[in-house]
Amino acid sequence: MTTLVRPPETAAPKEPRRRGVTERQRPLWLLTPGGLLLVLIVLIPLAVALWISLIDLDQYSLRRWVEAPFIGLDNFVESFSSGLLNSIWISVSFAVLSTIATVPIGIAAALVTQNKYKGRALVRAVFLIPYVLPSFVVATVWRTMLQPDGVVNAWLSRVGIEGGLWLTGPRSYWALILVEIWAAWPFIYLMALAALQSVDNEVHEASAVDGAPWWPKLRRVILPYLRGPVLLACLLATLNHINNFTLPFVLFGAPAPEDVNVMPMLVYVTSFQSLRFGLSAAMAVLSLVLIAIPLFVYLRAVRLDVHDEGGRR
Amino acid sequence: MMANKLTALAGTAVLALALAACGGGDEGGGEGGDGKTLNVLIAANTQYPDEFAAWQKDISTKFKAQTGAEVKFETFASANDELTKIQTSVVSGSGPDVYAVGTTFTPTAYSTGAFVKLGDEEWKKVGGKEKFTPATLGISGPDEQNQVGIPWVSRPFVMAYNTEMLQAAGIDKPATTWDELAQQAKQMTKGDQYGLAIAYKDNFDPWKFVWGMSVQAGNPLVDGKTARLQDPTVQKAYDTYFGWLTRDKVVDPAAVGWTNPQAVAAFAKGKTGYFMLTTPTAINSLEQGAVKGKWKFAVLPTVPPGATSRPTNGVEAASILSGDNLLIADYSKNKDLAFEYVKLVTDQDTQLDYYKKFGNLPANAAALQTLASDQQLAPVTEAAKKSVATPFTGAWGDIQLALTNVAVQSLPDLGKGSISTQQIDARIADAQKSAQTALDRAK
Amino acid sequence: MWAGEPIRVSERMRTGEPIRVSERMRTGEPIRVSERMRTGEPIRVSERMRTGEPICVGERMGAHEPVGGCAMSVSASAEANRLLPRWLLVVLTALLVLMVLIPVLYIVLASLNSDVGVASGEYWPSSFSLDSYTRIWTTADLSTGIVNSLIVCAFTAVASSLLGTTTAYVLVRYSFLGRLTILRGLVGLQSIPGTLMLLPVFVLFSSAGNYLGLTVIGTRWGLFVAYLTFALPFSTWVMVTYLRGLPRELEEAARTEGASTVVILWKIIFPLSLPAIVVSGIFAFLLGWNDVLFASVLTRPETHTAAVALQIFGSQQEGGALPVYSQMMAAALICAAPVVLLYLAFQRYLVGGLTAGGVK
Repeated sequence: MTTLVRPPETAAPKEPRRRGVTERQRPLWLLTPGGLLLVLIVLIPLAVALWISLIDLDQYSLRRWVEAPFIGLDNFVESFSSGLLNSIWISVSFAVLSTIATVPIGIAAALVTQNKYKGRALVRAVFLIPYVLPSFVVATVWRTMLQPDGVVNAWLSRVGIEGGLWLTGPRSYWALILVEIWAAWPFIYLMALAALQSVDNEVHEASAVDGAPWWPKLRRVILPYLRGPVLLACLLATLNHINNFTLPFVLFGAPAPEDVNVMPMLVYVTSFQSLRFGLSAAMAVLSLVLIAIPLFVYLRAVRLDVHDEGGRR
Repeated sequence: MMANKLTALAGTAVLALALAACGGGDEGGGEGGDGKTLNVLIAANTQYPDEFAAWQKDISTKFKAQTGAEVKFETFASANDELTKIQTSVVSGSGPDVYAVGTTFTPTAYSTGAFVKLGDEEWKKVGGKEKFTPATLGISGPDEQNQVGIPWVSRPFVMAYNTEMLQAAGIDKPATTWDELAQQAKQMTKGDQYGLAIAYKDNFDPWKFVWGMSVQAGNPLVDGKTARLQDPTVQKAYDTYFGWLTRDKVVDPAAVGWTNPQAVAAFAKGKTGYFMLTTPTAINSLEQGAVKGKWKFAVLPTVPPGATSRPTNGVEAASILSGDNLLIADYSKNKDLAFEYVKLVTDQDTQLDYYKKFGNLPANAAALQTLASDQQLAPVTEAAKKSVATPFTGAWGDIQLALTNVAVQSLPDLGKGSISTQQIDARIADAQKSAQTALDRAK
Repeated sequence: MWAGEPIRVSERMRTGEPIRVSERMRTGEPIRVSERMRTGEPIRVSERMRTGEPICVGERMGAHEPVGGCAMSVSASAEANRLLPRWLLVVLTALLVLMVLIPVLYIVLASLNSDVGVASGEYWPSSFSLDSYTRIWTTADLSTGIVNSLIVCAFTAVASSLLGTTTAYVLVRYSFLGRLTILRGLVGLQSIPGTLMLLPVFVLFSSAGNYLGLTVIGTRWGLFVAYLTFALPFSTWVMVTYLRGLPRELEEAARTEGASTVVILWKIIFPLSLPAIVVSGIFAFLLGWNDVLFASVLTRPETHTAAVALQIFGSQQEGGALPVYSQMMAAALICAAPVVLLYLAFQRYLVGGLTAGGVK
């Protein structure tokens, strides 16, 4: 807060305004509080984590962790034989599938709440409930529901389907996706709804004049507006899915069934149950790099720097 | 401009880290406990929250009266949570002064070297080694000279049985061998009744069965630096354990998804003959169920499966040595207060009070003695005496995890109703591999 | 207030009739910023301030719904805006609402049920009881947790959205070396797994305690600093996308009149960005509210957050007894309630604030 009341570094000169003003007195100091925090709380710990990935840190060397032997890339080599690739595959496929499934749901929800009607505020509130419930709660609730003699199987058996096991074996993978979809689609919904708002009134009016039926209008006119924001939302959502630890941890416990041994679970178990901190840091760093590559490509591809008018002098 | 500031800042932070790395911290001096606070890490008690809060308050008052210092209790939610707490504290050299940790976790804690080793003088400060039941000292350290854990409470594992169901099936006394158990379970299984309640999905139960059966057959699982998981005794143990469901069909198929509390619930409904692997902490739940007044505890079988008597090298292990040890952090600035606290909570009266409130057996020998006359508890005290410590190695956590993982990965097959020997063997081979890796790293 | 607007801008635009702001000013007709932007007519802040014209949120975004305290005309062309045929709208809404509500209703019902009832797979309780709601306060330390969570998260929300705004403002309005890197970094930071950061962050915080004499671990503000930092990238990102869509003219005008950056931020950017600030604030709040990983090691009993209290309660002990399902569900509902209320209070902003959303 102090930054806000701090006097400007230089008294604003009374000279006539020029575009060049942005050039000469860029208030870059405004970036310091945020930058400082990110460096202190994110980048430095990240550097420490990188260091840990290069040393042989376990419960025996934990206490004097700075003296832990430096072993170079050994941890990285070992992580490949510890099922990392499999976990990455599970994580990525789970994240992508979840994202793909949430997109139509999110867009549909945005479309049905775009036009005003009585009770819309209530519907919008309902749509956001899964998103505001703590993921610990969501996981606990679904775990209770998906138990072999839980309510899901009780209902399935009523319609003559043998429920079976949801929390172990191959089906646990789909259970994880199902719950993730349930909890995460409102994020896409929010972003899609926001994008819908930015569709100009004129567009609606123009297509109304044309007398376009709803589907072509939706497909040709409205949906293109959603592409950018929804794509970004997809990216962020996918990253969130990949890094979601609470959900699989509470749903399945540790050790997790092989089918849902997602990366955060593997890293967690390696770190906090097997106490191989070095190895687990190496795994996390590797996966970070593997995620970062497509991310970087994406970030280069979309023009993050698009400006209406500002910024670029 | 900003870059400079950032660099400066980064420099400061790195410096701080480097300083931190040099380790150590100055010892707070001064005598007496006035104005000081002792931090104690202890498991949360969700079953008896009111009593637990009252107990904490009670101890705080007593401690304050004795030393003038405050006790602050910090609770952890689960074994994982506890581990996280310990690790972060060990790395940073700050955190609770006293830890109450599970017995099986003591070796791992010991291996960090972050806890006070107990010499004669330290033992004297807490009231002498002889005040504890000898068996409870079994997992205080790797040997007599290197002990870190002070026994606090014990929770030996026993089984509970439904007296009515056993009687109806014409069984006059609970099984003492695993084969007999399976036989009796078969007799009781009919309709919606099942012989056994087993928590197959539990994250801690499975390895206890396997360890118990193997030890009874003469295989302690760890032999020096060698893991002995790929062994006929272990195979037989898993085979028996899974076989109850797939072959003998004496377990409710839904048990594939049960954790221990759900098995308690199933037994409490009164439709199950035996509930394997429970502790006195379950008494309350059982007394609230349909089974109220119709159940008893019994010592778990101690003759390995497939045998009618224990082989000569077999150990009469009725339970793992289970309960909590108290550890005092090496970095603590209040070590003397910590010893005072330990002494207080291991005294006879405090221990009995704790038993009455929470059903945890005293580690204090005199306190345990006063409970000997309790009929309901007799099998439990017997199990306490016949408890055997799990191998004292820093790798035990991993071995335990590997043993449990065999069960976790087998659940889908169990759900389908059958599991082949090859499948079990393959998973045991995996477990052997990770157990051996962990042992190789052990120092 | 805007209802008397005689000619819709859109109409004028179609007809190509020029719109003069000065004209309107004479007639006393309110002026919409969006119009001015299109016409390119300069807007003087001082002018607005003089006339006392409120600076409304919705205008600048062309939102078609009332936002905040600004009443706007209900669009006359609601019918034209209709996106879906009525039948589809009803069907889809019903499906989606059911999808959400069935599990949510289950939580409510289970919290009223008996533990045995929940364990045996009942959806509709065979007996109702409010016991869980009274018992839970002693079983789990929820009240302390909720108070702590509220304090920490509220501060996080306010600080991260304001800090995000200033950061975003610089990123959007000025060009400098490394700007693109920072923009990319904002998204990139989201991919760092929390499990990797836990131990180093703890070490950092505890060394601050040991060597700088600052107690960080176990304090609310330590947690606040951590959450603030984790929330900052997304908050900044939301603000970047929003500020991009915001016209420069107001600031430029103010700058001509000698306003400093701080004044501009405080008097123009903050009020104008309120919807987006609310959005980034809510996301920051949620981040703190839902975190268990960091809170479980960075707090002490008296600073436990609601999530930690809930987790401590939820994790059953080794060899425990029958789970207290109904209390668990009651606790879950109680912990979710503040967030739902918060959302309801701000929901009008939430949608509007995301409007500028994303890359085109």
